[in-house]
Amino acid sequence: MLAEKEFTFLEAPRFSCALGGAYMTVLGMEKAVPILHAGGGCGMVQTMGMAFASGFNSVTPLGGNATPCTALLEKHVVFGGEEKLKEQIKSTVKIMKGDLYVVLSGCIPSIIGDDVESVVQEIRRRPEFPALIHAKTPGFAGNSYDGYEIFFDAVIEQLLEEPGSKEKGLVNILGIVPGQHIFWKGDLLKIKEVLGKLGLKANLIFLEFSGLAALKKIPSAELTIILSPWVGIKNAKKIKDKFGVPYIVFPGAPIGPKQTSEFLYRVAGQLDIPEESVARVVAEEERIAYRQFERVADALVIFGANAPVAVAADSNIAISLTKFLTNECGMLPLVVIITDTPPIESQESIATELNEGLDSLIKPEVHFETDSYKIREILGRYKFLMIYASSQEKYLAQNEWQSLHLSVSFPSLDRVIVERSYAGYRGGLILLEDILSKAVMPFV
Amino acid sequence: MHGGGHFTTNEVINLEKNTCPNREDRAGFGIKTYFGKASNLVKESKKGHIEHIERAFEQTGGCVFMFTTLRLYSIRNAVVISHAPVGCSVFGSGYRESMQHLPPFLDRPPQWDLHWMTTNLSDSDIIFGGTGKLADAIKEANRRYSPQAIIITTSCASGIIGDDVEGTVSSIQPEVKAKIVPIHCEGHRSPIVQTGYDAMWHGFLKYLIKKPEKKQEDLVNVLNMFSYTWLDCLEAKRLLRKMGLRANLVPDFAAVEDIEVMSEAVLTASFCPTFGDYVMKGLEQEYGVPYFRTPSPLGFKNTDAWLLKIGELTGRKEEAKKVIEEEHARWAPQVKTLKEAIIKLKGDGSIPSVIGALGQGRMLTHTTFFKELGLDIAASLTLDYDGLFVEELEELIEDVGDFDVCVNTFQGADQTNLVQRKDPDIYLTCPFKGGAYKRGKGIGWIHTLRPMIHPMFSQTFYSGAISFAEMAIRTFKNRSFQKTLLNKTEDAYSEWWYKHPLPYLIFGEVID
Repeated sequence: MLAEKEFTFLEAPRFSCALGGAYMTVLGMEKAVPILHAGGGCGMVQTMGMAFASGFNSVTPLGGNATPCTALLEKHVVFGGEEKLKEQIKSTVKIMKGDLYVVLSGCIPSIIGDDVESVVQEIRRRPEFPALIHAKTPGFAGNSYDGYEIFFDAVIEQLLEEPGSKEKGLVNILGIVPGQHIFWKGDLLKIKEVLGKLGLKANLIFLEFSGLAALKKIPSAELTIILSPWVGIKNAKKIKDKFGVPYIVFPGAPIGPKQTSEFLYRVAGQLDIPEESVARVVAEEERIAYRQFERVADALVIFGANAPVAVAADSNIAISLTKFLTNECGMLPLVVIITDTPPIESQESIATELNEGLDSLIKPEVHFETDSYKIREILGRYKFLMIYASSQEKYLAQNEWQSLHLSVSFPSLDRVIVERSYAGYRGGLILLEDILSKAVMPFV
Repeated sequence: MHGGGHFTTNEVINLEKNTCPNREDRAGFGIKTYFGKASNLVKESKKGHIEHIERAFEQTGGCVFMFTTLRLYSIRNAVVISHAPVGCSVFGSGYRESMQHLPPFLDRPPQWDLHWMTTNLSDSDIIFGGTGKLADAIKEANRRYSPQAIIITTSCASGIIGDDVEGTVSSIQPEVKAKIVPIHCEGHRSPIVQTGYDAMWHGFLKYLIKKPEKKQEDLVNVLNMFSYTWLDCLEAKRLLRKMGLRANLVPDFAAVEDIEVMSEAVLTASFCPTFGDYVMKGLEQEYGVPYFRTPSPLGFKNTDAWLLKIGELTGRKEEAKKVIEEEHARWAPQVKTLKEAIIKLKGDGSIPSVIGALGQGRMLTHTTFFKELGLDIAASLTLDYDGLFVEELEELIEDVGDFDVCVNTFQGADQTNLVQRKDPDIYLTCPFKGGAYKRGKGIGWIHTLRPMIHPMFSQTFYSGAISFAEMAIRTFKNRSFQKTLLNKTEDAYSEWWYKHPLPYLIFGEVID
């Protein structure tokens, strides 16, 4: 188990800092302009370090070298950066188009004690000034997942208001961190599609027409669905307390028919959708999904049946993927390394999910480890045919473990991921396509 | 002889100090904001100092830490430890892959496992200090990998809280076999990112480069960096080998021992004068290793001059001439064809225009190269400009005529504004610029990167000049990509910005 909030030194951890997570979160929304109150390198570093490492993505035209940043220097450390920030906010609104502006303050203002809150509040009072919020996200406050949660906390505190009425069928989706969860775009769109089959409208927040409008709709939703065993729970609790929106926690975006059906039944149960309507959707979706499954059966029998498998990934990816490979494809999970940082109470539920939730007689040894040296050591103790991990394991798989390898978690620098998703009824098939494409060969 | 720069001919590098002075102080001035004629920049420079323009609007464009740490990652037999919060060094997460991409048949050393760690500074480290954790990380790095060097890079956070990195290093060095090399590259340290390179070389000169045991009469240091490819380096080795010399490529693709022996070389040459300036001077001062700064081997003429200078300074002038002659025989026909193709590109007889360059080093060499290809300079970009390169800029203007310069450190808005205003036929760029490459005309790459090994990606020497020219020609052949982006995606910048007469906004200029 990983002690909660333990900041040890680390070799090549698989996440970034609070600023990085919050920055990618803002960039995940449409028409939302991040303003970094930070050193000049922070945005460029995160663009290279996060966007590229989550499937070689270019950020939007608001990211990278386009992101407004106060680029703080020694003189600001001495005299403060508040004046610079004021000027930066005002000029940004003139130069860059958006409907929500988000100040993210990094290490420097947090150490020197800039009163960012006052600067932002003063500007916000101006008539007709566009929506402006502030999240305090110094790099030392936490990692990318924390940054996501800090951002949503700022949204709840500074932007959201009591809704006039609830919007029937509207559900918020939380728990998937843009730029950290490498399949965030595809997974979210899949979730929207599959919930749409029940007549529900998913508020993805990201990728929606306007990030601001989507955020403002959060309080009028009927339910919040968290697609992670831990990320976003804090936020969902607060949304529930303030606006009465209940929430459910699903351990990851569902992969394959079994998990997706289970997901739909659970959501439907929460919203009093009649079971027959769900059953109709399930029957139709499963029919096609399993027919297609038969088409990979030969490849699976020859190259992957009962394959011993290793997984090293963010918890929500690790759980969904291990369950699909074990419960529907007959693979044998030997070891699962959780490489994100769930708090202690969630670690227990993750371990349970990866034990009782699995149909095989072999149960994986579950490790919680964020240091890449130790992850390599742990993996070296097992003999597996396939490894689902980050691209850091790509050449180790080839040179040390003679194993097939697929990058499914951050960092993934060996694949381009825009639409790719393993979520939903037929997502598992895409996962099988990706791994088995590395295995198949002519045998006559 | 070696173009010592306008203000620094008598500079003494003080290795007693923990780090170098900032570039803007070493050079008399350093700026990262300017637009206007190159001749005006020279004129202002000659006064000895150019004031910084404080920007009202700025964009993230890298920092001293980022640029420095990027250049350290590829060193073999070392561990890089970032004394920083976890996010600062996240761009190194490809460390186990980047060099493995190089195929063994291209002379990749078989053992190229890179290592990096972060002290992962927390809230409480900010309050109580992080040196204990740094010491633990150093010991653990030593235990895990038995490296020859452990390189520490400092960050804004560790710098501002005043962690005594030097003290930690000297107290722990006796326990650790690896040489510990602290590099003071706090992100907020200087607006001029070149400061980081100087700081890196300062660390190497102070801690890593050994006193020479003997002179290696055939060894030439060739300073290269991140923005040059493995093929560029192989080509340097090939050409110098023909002159009976061995290229010691440092720091990119180097092993620790390659850095240690820099003092035994007979000459220091460079792919980039501003990147290498500090160590060239340091090696001369400490160990009498001569150097030259310009030109860089980009383009045909520049390559000729680069090889000739190496020949002169190593007593191999005749060998250099012979190599140039042989290479010309091989490449000259292609050069001729390419130049003819470039003249015809526009169809109306007018000369195609280009915006390119990147650092001040490339500004000096690309500009000559583009003229040589028959291109017109619409404007030249440089990340920064400082007092070390006044004479060189003056010489360049004499050589190619006056031209517009836009000094900006990766500012997307500056470049978008400039490119729209100048509307060159070719805009050479690199990623992350947001909308800067949404346009109706050509876009190409400004440089290629470490592991890109197809010959089409080479950029230095004769072969690189050919592939670069071919790339420039290709930008005329299909523009659908950038037009698609232009027509089908939203622009991030306001109309107001495009009407702004300068590509930057001065502090105080925003009217409420």
